[in-house]
Amino acid sequence: MAAALCRCFFSAVRVSGVLQAPPGAGLSGLTSNLLHKKTTKVEPFYQCKFLHTTLSRRGLEEFFDDRKNWGETVVKSGDEWHAKHLRNKSNEDLHKLWYVLLKEKNMLLTLEQEAKRQSLPMPSPERLEKVEKSMGRIDLVIKEREVALRLLQTGHENPRPGEWRNDFLGRTYWYNSKEWPIPWYLNKKYNRRKFFYSPRVKHFIRLRIEQHLKKQARMKSLEKKKQLLLQEKFPHLAAQSQN
Amino acid sequence: MASGKVLYPLYQLGNPQLRIFRPNFFMTLVRPGVTQPEDTVQFRISMQMTRVDVKNYLEKIYNVPVSVVRTRIQYGANNKRNHKNQKVKKPDYKVAYVQLGQGQTFQFPNLFPEKEETPEPGSVEDIQKQFMENERQRQTADPRRGGVTDWFGL
Repeated sequence: MAAALCRCFFSAVRVSGVLQAPPGAGLSGLTSNLLHKKTTKVEPFYQCKFLHTTLSRRGLEEFFDDRKNWGETVVKSGDEWHAKHLRNKSNEDLHKLWYVLLKEKNMLLTLEQEAKRQSLPMPSPERLEKVEKSMGRIDLVIKEREVALRLLQTGHENPRPGEWRNDFLGRTYWYNSKEWPIPWYLNKKYNRRKFFYSPRVKHFIRLRIEQHLKKQARMKSLEKKKQLLLQEKFPHLAAQSQN
Repeated sequence: MASGKVLYPLYQLGNPQLRIFRPNFFMTLVRPGVTQPEDTVQFRISMQMTRVDVKNYLEKIYNVPVSVVRTRIQYGANNKRNHKNQKVKKPDYKVAYVQLGQGQTFQFPNLFPEKEETPEPGSVEDIQKQFMENERQRQTADPRRGGVTDWFGL
């Protein structure tokens, strides 16, 4: 399973049997074995190579490492997946890779727990971090694509619409819209909320701003005082830093 | 069915079924502390997972036939104190006992088998090993004394 991480995927692509294409044509096939479906349609030509996963019928044994790695203190593993490489992959490939990494992480968690139980050091614990980072990057890349698609379709970057609103004390905050089963004018709970403030509150808004500015000024002057104190204590250092 | 903060659309009759494309649930296969029947496998699972989730997870992702799943929540110990004498809580976790279907059995393997290592003759490890053996030999008591301590006698 350590091979799941390594860049061997690039080279381990093989031309699938269901795809009747000559091997010399440079067309690398896609075997969607992970999903256990037979694709008989001919895939279009892509510049990038496809991710190939072998059909696994090992069941619960996938929770454990390769038998030859048992008892080893160091297990070799390849590089993690960087966002640069993942951006070249199709959505389908990323989906498959997610499941490969999920299984890998389950295996590593099992190994970690068993090592903890037997009070032994876990062999190559850095693999866990690699898998976690790779999964985070897959998430990142897919979210980027979703945002790009949403910008094209709706012009909004945020999946959840919202706006800046005031509460009854005149504080401004970002309001995230929420789905309701009934329209807003029938919704008693929604209508009980106040998104406005009375003119009498204006004075207190001013006071709040004043308080905030005062606090900032106080912090600033304190910082300055500290600087001066340090300069008095260590004049030679002050001269050095000015030079 | 996903851990973390996920906002699903409000379900209304006729909407498509909610699907999860990148599950971020993890399962740890553990060696059972209390002896379990042969067909039972013990897992530590994410807190948000339900019995149905465990069944689907194993059947869809791992192709393992599952008949019954039972879950419980293990309370993490709260009796440890740190250097400030504050209580330190170990996190709780959920335990799933999965009974396999189709008469399958499972035995937790030994992941850390003892490996016979024969270091190359003349290498540092070999010399170190020989030295340690000699030392051990030197420090063992004289068998002719019959277990009588060193300081006793002339």
